[in-house]
Amino acid sequence: MIRFEKQNYIYKIYTWLPIIVLFVSVLNEFDLNYLNIDYFSFNFPFILIFYFTLKEYNKFDYLLVFATGLINDTVIGLPLGISSLSYILVCIFASYLRNITIRPHLIKDWFYFLFVISLINSINYSILFLFFSYDLDIMFYIINNLLTFLLYIPSSFFLNYYIKAIND
Amino acid sequence: MASSRDDFIIAIRSAFLKKSTKQKFSLLTLAFLSILIIILSGINFKPINKIKILINEIVYRSSFIVSIPENLIVNSYFGIKRYSNFFKDYKDNKKELENLKSKNISSKIIISENDELKNLIEDYTLSTNKILAKVIVDHKSSFLRSIIINKGSSEGIEIGTNIYDKNYLVGRIIEVNYKSSRVLLLSDLNSNLPISITPGSVQAIVVGSGKNSGKIKYIKDNLIGDIEDQSIAYTSGTGAIFKSGIPVGKIINDKNKFLIDFFSDFDQLKYVFVEIKNKKEANNQTKTESNNLRNKAISTTELIKLDLLNDQVKILDESNSRFIRENQLLKSTIDELNNKIFVSQGEAEDKKKKTIQNDIDKKELEFLKLNLIYSSKCLRTVFKKGYKVGTPEYKECILRKGKKSND
Repeated sequence: MIRFEKQNYIYKIYTWLPIIVLFVSVLNEFDLNYLNIDYFSFNFPFILIFYFTLKEYNKFDYLLVFATGLINDTVIGLPLGISSLSYILVCIFASYLRNITIRPHLIKDWFYFLFVISLINSINYSILFLFFSYDLDIMFYIINNLLTFLLYIPSSFFLNYYIKAIND
Repeated sequence: MASSRDDFIIAIRSAFLKKSTKQKFSLLTLAFLSILIIILSGINFKPINKIKILINEIVYRSSFIVSIPENLIVNSYFGIKRYSNFFKDYKDNKKELENLKSKNISSKIIISENDELKNLIEDYTLSTNKILAKVIVDHKSSFLRSIIINKGSSEGIEIGTNIYDKNYLVGRIIEVNYKSSRVLLLSDLNSNLPISITPGSVQAIVVGSGKNSGKIKYIKDNLIGDIEDQSIAYTSGTGAIFKSGIPVGKIINDKNKFLIDFFSDFDQLKYVFVEIKNKKEANNQTKTESNNLRNKAISTTELIKLDLLNDQVKILDESNSRFIRENQLLKSTIDELNNKIFVSQGEAEDKKKKTIQNDIDKKELEFLKLNLIYSSKCLRTVFKKGYKVGTPEYKECILRKGKKSND
């Protein structure tokens, strides 16, 4: 198990790692588009935000989440504020789940995550389609939604290790 | 029942309003802020647009830097893949190059012919300048297909500027910042491109499918039969968004569904060409030139008019003086002729007189001749009754040849 000295410089970076990864993921888009697999895409920021809000990780600042949303809009080319709203909504739903849950369960969280991302993607699609007249392929949204949902379990498995390392 | 509702409200309140440890803003505040930004960017609120441009400039550069490791891995992977196929590719390329060389000559002829024809129909021929731009961000989202290039308004790029990969069209600019721009690729769902399909010259519109191919839409049913598999599609220029005659892709017949396979591979774009139109400058130039020309033309016309008037005056003066001269000449001729007439009249008078005198002389001569013969008959002598010489009776008697009058 990795152990850090609490005042270590590397430790500080390590504690900020989720937010750094979030920034890198919105700037770099981990969409593996070069694999040229049709409809293959997932929303890694959703997984990160949901997971760390649920865990109430203290370095995971909502303002920074909001900022990553703005960056994501800029990189993808969406109207400013769409992704910020999506990310904040993920935070709200995750925060609500955290408040109502006494004994957390991964499978319950997982299906709740599916409900949350489906709802948020629907809102996203509706805003872009109705207010900004974007032509969007709903199939992309559905597959993105499903892949994000499926990737939550392996991602949370790795992220649990990270949290454990911090707590230890 | 009441307690569960209370729990729900408490949970909602804590989720929305309660600021967790070290959180500076509540989630509700941030949600409202997001909605406000969406509304303001939706109505094109100027400060938001300026902030957006600023964020764009910073984010695009940051994204480029952040993407370096990933791009390095991806490029290395593709590099290795390319090396493994190097010799085969070399052979294929050599063959293709020979074919292209022969085609290049014919296309050059076609281009020159096209220019001539354009000039004939007085179509505009824009002087364009293609500049090389680097693709700094190529994160195709699942929903939108766009790239970011490192050239912006400082290089003269504007919304709608055409983007090329070699000579193939790849898209157009939809967002311009000072040092960067966003290119909407032809494969994007929001991209509509008017094309002309040859052979057959069928007009259609290509809509992006989100993949590396496009769907052909808005085509008349009776024209579908004219489209052949592997036909070439190029821009028709309808709508004046894209220039005409730019190759776009090949037609693929997929179970009676026509798709277009773009010539350019949008996933492999590293450098693109941006077509900077000099139309504006040309327009300004043309405007000033046309103004100058117009002024010149106006002044020239006036000058020509003046010249014409002066010429007319000159001609009138000349003709006037000629008339005067002719008049004088005629006058003198008349005078001369009058003199001649007078002289002739005098001569005629003289001749008349002479003729009369001649007649008289003739008569006298006749009389004298007859007098010599018949004087004995008419002369009064002592023995003969006649007339005294010199009297009219004597003359008459002579002229009667001595015969007596009947009276």
